[in-house]
Amino acid sequence: ENRESMLNSKSNKLTEALEEANKLFDGVCRAREAALDAQFLVIASNIGKEKANELHSEMSAFDSTAFAEDLLTFMGINRTEAEDIDDSEDVPGGFLPADAWQKMGKEAPKYFRRAPTFHYMMGSFKSEPPVPKQRIERQKKSSRGKAERAMPAQLKKMEESHQEATEKEVERILRILQTHFENDPDTPISFFDFVIDPNSFAHTVENMFHVSFLIRDGLAKIKMDEDELPIIEPTKPSGRGEEDSRAGARNQVVISLDQKEWK
Amino acid sequence: QVSELVQFLLVKDQKKIPIRRADMLKSVIREYKDAYSEIVNKAGRTLQEVFGLRLVEIDTKRHTYILINNLPRAEGQYLCKDKEKEKMGLLLVILSFIFMKGNSVKDSALWEFLNLLRVYPGKPHGVFGDVRKLVTDEFVRQKYLESTLIPLTDPPEFKYQWGPRAEKETSKKDVLNFVAKIQGKNPTFWTSQYSEAEA
Repeated sequence: ENRESMLNSKSNKLTEALEEANKLFDGVCRAREAALDAQFLVIASNIGKEKANELHSEMSAFDSTAFAEDLLTFMGINRTEAEDIDDSEDVPGGFLPADAWQKMGKEAPKYFRRAPTFHYMMGSFKSEPPVPKQRIERQKKSSRGKAERAMPAQLKKMEESHQEATEKEVERILRILQTHFENDPDTPISFFDFVIDPNSFAHTVENMFHVSFLIRDGLAKIKMDEDELPIIEPTKPSGRGEEDSRAGARNQVVISLDQKEWK
Repeated sequence: QVSELVQFLLVKDQKKIPIRRADMLKSVIREYKDAYSEIVNKAGRTLQEVFGLRLVEIDTKRHTYILINNLPRAEGQYLCKDKEKEKMGLLLVILSFIFMKGNSVKDSALWEFLNLLRVYPGKPHGVFGDVRKLVTDEFVRQKYLESTLIPLTDPPEFKYQWGPRAEKETSKKDVLNFVAKIQGKNPTFWTSQYSEAEA
């Protein structure tokens, strides 16, 4: 113990300890005591070596305490005259303001050639070309929908809807869907193609809203095609009976679409 | 390939943890292993010409790299978060202490010094939180500090020195100037440190 205080070049503690050991040795008459004395000598010589190292070190005397005090001053410490009873620590009195390290933070970067950290401005959304690995998970999810969304088919069905009652709107959409399907029953209609309005995000959401009614009422159904993209088709009236019996066929799906993805 | 690598490096550098060649090969270069050094060189040139950054290999055995700023330091506001700057403040103080004390200090001596600044290893700090972790973990991982075991100590003790990133991002001269500024003295006041810094 007391290693640090012994090492302090200004202290003579080491010498004192050695002198005391010398005196004690006179009283030694047992082997065990001699062994203890030898142990002490080993430790003392280690400390001596360290002290010598500190002397030899080519560094001019550097007073770290003074440095610390000057740093505190730089950080804006408020030193009080009276001997304040600082309840917690045994440091010299003084109040270090909250922005102390901020002051240091303002000065410090001048001494470093640190590369500024790089962040994408808008978040990354392009599915190709590849972007560093951390982002790859995100890419996979969005690129799925992207392929379809990038080329919305002609949405002739999306005429202006002027605040019609929801049911009317839903009926209208159903009719559109049926017409489309009749015209070409073998081509699946991509769900996204169906609902997305390339000019209006709000309208797209509205369309999805209306379509969800159709699904709920069993008037249309959504399936996944080979690419695991949703396609929508109207249900045949006769098929209703089958639908009901296959209770498990009706699932709830939550589709989330925010403005960025829509874009 | 080159631009992929450039992006990869820029993002990986965010945490300031050195980038390993193995990661670069795995994530970006993959099949083009043979062209590795060419790709890396080109990426380095791009980083330099477009971003003003230098790609530096800090460990030639384990092949780890860091990015540092190649541009001369400009006056004025530094665009980075306050948190980051405060940490740099603490780091600068630590690096100064280490240098002025002969380039190597014992763990105990460092904390004795930091205590004077009201920074304690066992006590959560208002600004830095778990300071011990910051110093012994984060700064060491980022290669700002290097921690080595002092032989024949029982219980084991550690000593701190400047890490390779510190060597590249700053200099003894800069740090001495900082100390001189804080203490209101001329850098030549500390003759041996001064001559070492000028060497």
